[in-house]
Amino acid sequence: MSRLDPPRVSRRSFLSLASLGSFFVAMGTAAAGMFRLPNPAVLPGPVRRYKLGPPEQFSAGSETAFTEENLVLFRDDDGFYAISSTCTHLGCTVARSKDGFACPCHGSRFNSQGSVVGGPAPRPLPWLEVSRAANGDLIVNADNEVPEGTRYRV
Amino acid sequence: MTETATREFVHNLHELPHTVKDACFRLGKEPESEREESQATFHNLFLHIHSVRVHLRTLSPTLTFGLGLMATASFVITIITGVLLMVYYKPSTDLAYQSIKDIHFTVSTGRFIRNIHRWSAQLMVLVVLLHMARVFFTASYKKPREFNWLVGLALLVITLALSFTGYLLPWDQLAYWAITIGSNIANSPRELTDAIGITKFFDPGGLQKRLLLGANYVGQDALIRFYVLHVFVLPLALVGLLGVHFWRIRKDGGLAKPEDPPGGLAEWGGERRPVFQPLATKTYGLMALVKGKRPPVNRGPENTVMSWPHLFWAELSVFMVTVAVTLILAFYSDAPLKELANAAIPENPAKAPWYFLGLQELVSYSAFMGGMLIPMIVLVGLALIPFLDRRPGGEGTWFGTSHERSVFWQSLFFACAVTVGMLAFTVNYGWLRNWFPNIHQLWIIVINPGSLLVLIFAAWSLFILKRKDSVRLAAVSLFTCFLVGFTLLTYFATVHRGPNWHFYWWPSQWPVH
Amino acid sequence: MKDPSRIYRWLLLVASVVTIVYLVGAAVRENYLAQWRTVQLEYRDLLREKATDDRGRELLAKFRVEMKQASIPALGTVDRCVTCHNGVDDPRMTDAPQPHRTHPGHILDKHPVDRFGCTVCHHGQGAAMTFSEAKAEDVFWDYPLLPPELTESTCVTCHDAERLPPEQIPLLTAGMKLYRDKSCGSCHKLGGRGGALGPALDNEGAKSKHQLIMTNLRPPHTTWNWQNAHFRDPGSVVPDSLMRNPTVTRREALALTAYMLSQWKRDVPESYLAPDKIEQKYRALHPEPLTGEQVYRQYCTACHGNGAYTRWDKKFNRFIPAIRGVSLISTATPEYFQSNIEQGRPGTQMPAWGLHAGGLIPEEITGVIEYLRLGAPAAPAMTALALQGDASNGLSLFLRNCAGCHGMNGRGGMAPEVGNPVFQQAATDEFIIHTIRNGRIGTAMPAFQRNEAPVFSDQDIADVLAYLRTLGEPRGQKAMAQNATSGTPPGGKP
Repeated sequence: MSRLDPPRVSRRSFLSLASLGSFFVAMGTAAAGMFRLPNPAVLPGPVRRYKLGPPEQFSAGSETAFTEENLVLFRDDDGFYAISSTCTHLGCTVARSKDGFACPCHGSRFNSQGSVVGGPAPRPLPWLEVSRAANGDLIVNADNEVPEGTRYRV
Repeated sequence: MTETATREFVHNLHELPHTVKDACFRLGKEPESEREESQATFHNLFLHIHSVRVHLRTLSPTLTFGLGLMATASFVITIITGVLLMVYYKPSTDLAYQSIKDIHFTVSTGRFIRNIHRWSAQLMVLVVLLHMARVFFTASYKKPREFNWLVGLALLVITLALSFTGYLLPWDQLAYWAITIGSNIANSPRELTDAIGITKFFDPGGLQKRLLLGANYVGQDALIRFYVLHVFVLPLALVGLLGVHFWRIRKDGGLAKPEDPPGGLAEWGGERRPVFQPLATKTYGLMALVKGKRPPVNRGPENTVMSWPHLFWAELSVFMVTVAVTLILAFYSDAPLKELANAAIPENPAKAPWYFLGLQELVSYSAFMGGMLIPMIVLVGLALIPFLDRRPGGEGTWFGTSHERSVFWQSLFFACAVTVGMLAFTVNYGWLRNWFPNIHQLWIIVINPGSLLVLIFAAWSLFILKRKDSVRLAAVSLFTCFLVGFTLLTYFATVHRGPNWHFYWWPSQWPVH
Repeated sequence: MKDPSRIYRWLLLVASVVTIVYLVGAAVRENYLAQWRTVQLEYRDLLREKATDDRGRELLAKFRVEMKQASIPALGTVDRCVTCHNGVDDPRMTDAPQPHRTHPGHILDKHPVDRFGCTVCHHGQGAAMTFSEAKAEDVFWDYPLLPPELTESTCVTCHDAERLPPEQIPLLTAGMKLYRDKSCGSCHKLGGRGGALGPALDNEGAKSKHQLIMTNLRPPHTTWNWQNAHFRDPGSVVPDSLMRNPTVTRREALALTAYMLSQWKRDVPESYLAPDKIEQKYRALHPEPLTGEQVYRQYCTACHGNGAYTRWDKKFNRFIPAIRGVSLISTATPEYFQSNIEQGRPGTQMPAWGLHAGGLIPEEITGVIEYLRLGAPAAPAMTALALQGDASNGLSLFLRNCAGCHGMNGRGGMAPEVGNPVFQQAATDEFIIHTIRNGRIGTAMPAFQRNEAPVFSDQDIADVLAYLRTLGEPRGQKAMAQNATSGTPPGGKP
């Protein structure tokens, strides 16, 4: 090193550390914001929450099929429950059979509680969340599954 | 024996942090000697386009003002925010507008990111123009840097094209009508071919417009073409040419700098230091500089410093200053978005983006002259500068040649007076079509305020050429006139042109629609 | 030796700190200080207060502070109003302050937000996340939020307004009725039926503020403000308007505004249309004929008034004929009326009303002719004159006695254009002679051969008639002859 070169600046000078440090913090903050962006704040598409009507409309022991909403609403002495009509194998719509549900596509069979009794379906028909709207009507949220056996009491 | 192997395995697991770090970072520590500092630059994939040492003078902020770096920084910011926006933007005429509204309203910090994108794009255009002015006024285009000047011009055109293609994507009234005007400017050779009656056989105007729009109107085809250009073709071209641009800086000997004075001594920071004179030919290239006995070639090592860390501090700080300025602008000012594009309701006035407004003013006199010919003349003129002004000397200093400053000021005032006078004349008295309603269009193409300004500036420049006996000074006068004309016309078209392109003193006077 | 990069390190530090400040500032401003978040936190507190039963507690437990939207692809809308209007379908919130309050009335029972959204009825910028941008009055949005009282104008998107209970849509019902009573159809077409003096109003509700001239309107520059001001005084909004002041009260002007805003041919999927709307669309193809009196009231009154006597119109600067005047209805035949109504008087303010012009079907024209001639006294005897008329003498007589009102070359002035081709073709000689002799009661047309003080002799009348008939000659030949002498075209607009 020539004696006329500028003196080597101490790498540990406060200014160097501070400026480099703040640079990395700034870049980190920016990166954090950028990585948040692809996570949608509000999911597009229609919400799959269906208003089915006042609870009184459905008597105990009844089952009502809702074809457009792809679910069946049951009511027994313990309360309400809704089972999805979408087969868990490859997505076809199941039909009601004598003691449960049967899928026309590949022969999956389910009992009336949705459990698999035959065919290629890997898991039971999903039970969907039942709750009530502010005005008292029953609402089924097809985007939310609940454990089998969950009853909604009115 | 398994026992030793187990211990070896555990030991390696234990040493994991160190071994991973050593594998990734070859030096693995702060450079402590000049050799290590050289390696930090030379052996690094991202940094080795820089030379290992840089000349002290080129680090001076007042030499370049970091404009080239700022332009690159703006570009990087635009790319990053652009990619983020691409996650949500949908390039369909049905969905584009709503997708941008959604980015503004619901996406996490989408509003901020979109604002940054818009501001950094505008900043990039402005900075690129300032960078060109800096390069010109420091005569940094002279041999051997002529080719880099040309590459820079190509980069300017691509930057303007990037900004223009991006302008259409929101698909709002601003976008739609600005691009309608732009595509009709592309169509302006029709004015000439119609005037001489050859459009049926030779229609470059129509071809240009059709290539741009993919149709006869601004619609889905135009949107998808502009989208492809904006996110893929043009950025790729820009990055490629940017690579060439940086490479040439290296090959041309680094940034143009003021000459080290003769006599072997240089004044810097209050000290006198010895320097070496450049040799006529280089016998070999230097890869790295270490302490030793080999003579340095073609450079004065005493006037250079290590790139690591000095140059990189400079680059990093300019990058962050650009980021900070862009963020401040984006925080306080929202990117505009008008109503959904509606072909039935023209914007009045329908204005092109600001960097094309000067052109739009000229186009209002003659579409072909203002839209095609004058921009071509300007581009060709700019391209020729390094090939016409070949006398060496004055590089690396602002106004390095004698009388340059005075010629600059004289040209500034002259151009101001002429431009303002011309505008005032046309506003008050109109032009040929107002006085001779039946005059043939060819007259108007040839004789209009735009072409007259070009001729007057050229005449002034020739005058300077003769008077001062210097090609460089003539170039300075012409470039200054061009800068002044561009600025004044842009200002005029922004502030003083209202609905129907009529003259108004202030926007507050525009008639309520 | 000075450190060459010291200044850059300072710059880096300052710039990085500024960057951090603005990054964090922007993140906080957009994500934590957002208006909707404050509103939702307020709502949650409110819910906590009001949720005293099981259901309420369940709602409270399920309440999440997040952006909410109703996305309805069928209508092409994404309405985020529910992000702030959380209580819109919760009966507990009837007396909560806005924006938490329940939606008034029972509209949401039949129009749930999940299926309809909000903007299909209320307009505004549904995708917005702040109130000012949702209201969209000063932002770049074509359809700002409608004022609450004017919301009924959008019911017609899916419903037939005439089949809805009037107490649900009071303003709209009043507006519909006023449109007919004030006889707006005299000058404006709606559904292809009406006069031609003013613009057709079929898509008036679809106009954005850029399609209306706001120069003379005091802010706010909204479309309903324009319509309202226009009904209260047309000339103040449209400077050279020919429209006479409809003289309406404030509420009536609002009602008419609601009716104008409801004129919007908007495309909604059929599943959203109420059955009565579909019926309305079919009915429009085969409309029930109006009675003669209805036709007169809706399409004639604005200009002709009750028709019994002449009206002076200061905008047209002329007398408007008394089409139910005693003299006219006793002397004119139904065929005369038929021609004039069907073809109008081209070149004047009287438009054609035939099926392909004003849109009246033949039954309706017959009906209105009957109505006009109601109570007509017996037709007097009208005879032709056996004399030969001298047109040149007729010309000088005409100039001295008739041109003052009827204009040079019979092109009309304050009085009707006697050179008009429809008049010339429909009026018989006897009709003209009788009218010149006896004038018209209740109008400005005097009698020129009253027994006490005759102005014209029979020969005079024959001459004038002969001259009048020359005015009816094909216009081209007349024009050439006239141009040769005076350079002014004959006939023409008054």
